Amino acid sequence: MKKKIFTAVLTAILAVSTVGCTTSAPDQGTTAPETTQPAQAQTQPEDGGNADTSSAETVSSEPKILKAAASFAYGSIDVHKEYYGWYTSIYGVSEALFKMDENMSAAPCLAKDAVADGRVWTITLNDGGAFSNGTALTADMVVKNLDRAAQVNERFAYLADFDMTVIDEKTITIDTGDVYPTLKNDLASPELGMMDLEGTTDFDNAPVCTGPFVIKSFQPEGDVEVVKNENYWGGNVKLDGAIFYYMQEDDPKLLAMQSGEIDCYNSVTSAALAVYSQDPDQYRVVSIPGARLQFYFLNEKTLDDAVREAINLTVDKDAIAAYLSGTVSAAVGPFNPSAAYGKVTVPAVDTAKAKEVLEADGYTPGSDGFYEKNGKKLTISIKYYAARSLDILAILIQEQLKAVGIDSVLGVEEDPDSTYLANGDFDLGLYCMIADKAGDPFYFIESVFKDGSYYDCNGFDDAKCEELIGQLKNETDTAKIASLTNEIVQIAIDDNAYGFAGLFNKTTVLRAGVTGFAEDIPFDFYGIDAQTDIQ
Amino acid sequence: MIKKVLKRILTLVVILVILSFFVFALMYIAPGDPAEKRLTSQGVAVTKKVLDAERERLGLMKPFLVRYGEWLFSIIRGDFGISFKDDMPVAPKLLQGLGRTAVLALTSLAVSLITSFLFAVASVLKKDGIADRIIKVFSFVSNSLPNFLISVLLMYFLCIKLKLFPVIAKGDLKGLLLPVLSLSIPMIGRFIRQMRAEFLSEMSKDYVAGMRGRGVKTGYIMFNVIRNSLGHIFTIIALQTGTLMGGSVVIETIFRWPGIGKLVMDSITARDYPVIMGFVVIMGTIYLIINQIADVLSHRLDPRPES
Repeated sequence: MKKKIFTAVLTAILAVSTVGCTTSAPDQGTTAPETTQPAQAQTQPEDGGNADTSSAETVSSEPKILKAAASFAYGSIDVHKEYYGWYTSIYGVSEALFKMDENMSAAPCLAKDAVADGRVWTITLNDGGAFSNGTALTADMVVKNLDRAAQVNERFAYLADFDMTVIDEKTITIDTGDVYPTLKNDLASPELGMMDLEGTTDFDNAPVCTGPFVIKSFQPEGDVEVVKNENYWGGNVKLDGAIFYYMQEDDPKLLAMQSGEIDCYNSVTSAALAVYSQDPDQYRVVSIPGARLQFYFLNEKTLDDAVREAINLTVDKDAIAAYLSGTVSAAVGPFNPSAAYGKVTVPAVDTAKAKEVLEADGYTPGSDGFYEKNGKKLTISIKYYAARSLDILAILIQEQLKAVGIDSVLGVEEDPDSTYLANGDFDLGLYCMIADKAGDPFYFIESVFKDGSYYDCNGFDDAKCEELIGQLKNETDTAKIASLTNEIVQIAIDDNAYGFAGLFNKTTVLRAGVTGFAEDIPFDFYGIDAQTDIQ
Repeated sequence: MIKKVLKRILTLVVILVILSFFVFALMYIAPGDPAEKRLTSQGVAVTKKVLDAERERLGLMKPFLVRYGEWLFSIIRGDFGISFKDDMPVAPKLLQGLGRTAVLALTSLAVSLITSFLFAVASVLKKDGIADRIIKVFSFVSNSLPNFLISVLLMYFLCIKLKLFPVIAKGDLKGLLLPVLSLSIPMIGRFIRQMRAEFLSEMSKDYVAGMRGRGVKTGYIMFNVIRNSLGHIFTIIALQTGTLMGGSVVIETIFRWPGIGKLVMDSITARDYPVIMGFVVIMGTIYLIINQIADVLSHRLDPRPES
């Protein structure tokens, strides 16, 4: 008898421990629904439990608080330092003089205009621009902000070389020394957001800015809570506040969305996309080509022209995009094809022609099906790093090359910049970077195509290209910039020095009724603004 | 006694210096540049001029031995330095993370020890019975499940299906439960197997047969068996505590628990050497102290000279 009782008790303990040992805590049962705002419960009946008239009546009286997941969090929210300005911009706290719009153009924000006359830019501020403490934004404060950004952020140190002059309360001139066509785009950088340098006492935790929201609480490397800026210069702010939960992992984001604890987030994975797409009444998914580019360098020092051409004729970007199920769009060049500077062409995928090109160059199919020349098998080294789906891309490219008879060996590195890009030890080197920082194609061209640039690692060197880059640097006319950009990129494409595989889609999921989470803007550094709303 | 303590402290210091030198050297040899990681963390390219200026500012242009020497002298003065990632002081970061991880690790350890101890005793007392078999299956399965899978399963069933917990945990007691469970379940399985084996080994000794022959009650025999196994159990605890303090990064990330494991993983990715080195010093010290305590306790519990 004792034995049986003991066995029964033991089995019960085991069962309880296996399911979590916590089912007896009654107060915990009320917690998850509490975290969901009534406004959101309208679109998620299972959370509210009783989605009846009475609960609906309370919706309008409750504050509208948006809850979002953020993939990154930092120890500071000093707008000018590092990339923290990206996050104060996402939180709706800081604004720059200009703001990038959905057409990749720098639209007016705190400044209403910027006009270049040779090397001198005249910037006129908007009349009503003011900080959340009511202090007006003056031309003098703008200059002080730009000076500070140059001091504390190495990437903007070049601003210190510019001669900035306050003309009047709302007008500044900036003499850039040389012609600097992209200053307006630079001034749209979120790191150049405006802070009240005299009114801010704690730059790392509570900067006083001009955005539609102000910081309510900031946990270093944790969650951030903002509330409506009652003094917002740009008009009415629809939300009462927002909470940004720091969530790195994808699965918890999906689960939090399902449990109604968050209302929206960016960078949705393909697995989560499949879940959301099954319930379009609950979730709205917006996917647009972003500014982050997946591409590969073809090493001109180790691969001859025919092999590079054959590789580019073989790599099927549409098949890759389809495999990555909605997270990337097939690229043509490095820039969004809808932009004026994204109009380039690439030869269509043609594996038969790829074989012809190889055979014309003296390659013959070997007994194992792979091409060889002078008794040496054609084997290329594909280097990649396991981020931004480049690991999948590497495997897909390997399979596609294998199908035409090009053997390849995959090599993974943790840090591409210090390894294969630095020493050139690759035939095909995969990389991912932001190609379009702020509607400025020159940034990518100067970083990748220019002789001696940071990413000059594959031996691409073209005199005509260098000449055009020199012209582009000083060009101020928008149409001419687009034309020169297209010409430069086309040279690189025709030389088969690169392969532009895909543009990462900016994929946002929003609970039904949530609008204005910058879901239609391709840049990563925008989030909530005055128009963000929960219906 | 004082001499013995001083000797142990001296050993600890020497080990820490050697350990820190090797870790510093490994980081120096390994590819990766903190300045480049910092400047391009969002995928934005920089010019070589900007990169060089940042390297200079972070002191990365100095020779290896100079950098190590400067770091060592700073540590001796109690200065853990400034983070390469965000220019914040390293010590508060580490201490905050350490405190959080200690809460998580020690709670998980306590839950695991109590549960596994009860199951291991039951398993030994009812060897080859139904209870023993159930416990063995449980220990095998739970030991085989990876932490991340347990975490997601717990979240799915307890947060989504049963709605007992929020997915987004706060840093309170309720927020602690799911990460503790996720860490404890595999640990319970591991502890049961180790304790059961130790208890069974002790049960097979002559003194147990003698006690049985003299008709001593099972409870008293078990008390002696457990007491004689404590040395081994302390060793298990010591090893597991160290592992938990540094190895709960997956759980910390999934449950948004801002512990030291997650901090260090982020620091390794960012090549944030001051944080990594601070972690090595702190964790090395903790490991060594725990092992010294386990040594002393084992010796006190079983004072027989080691053969």
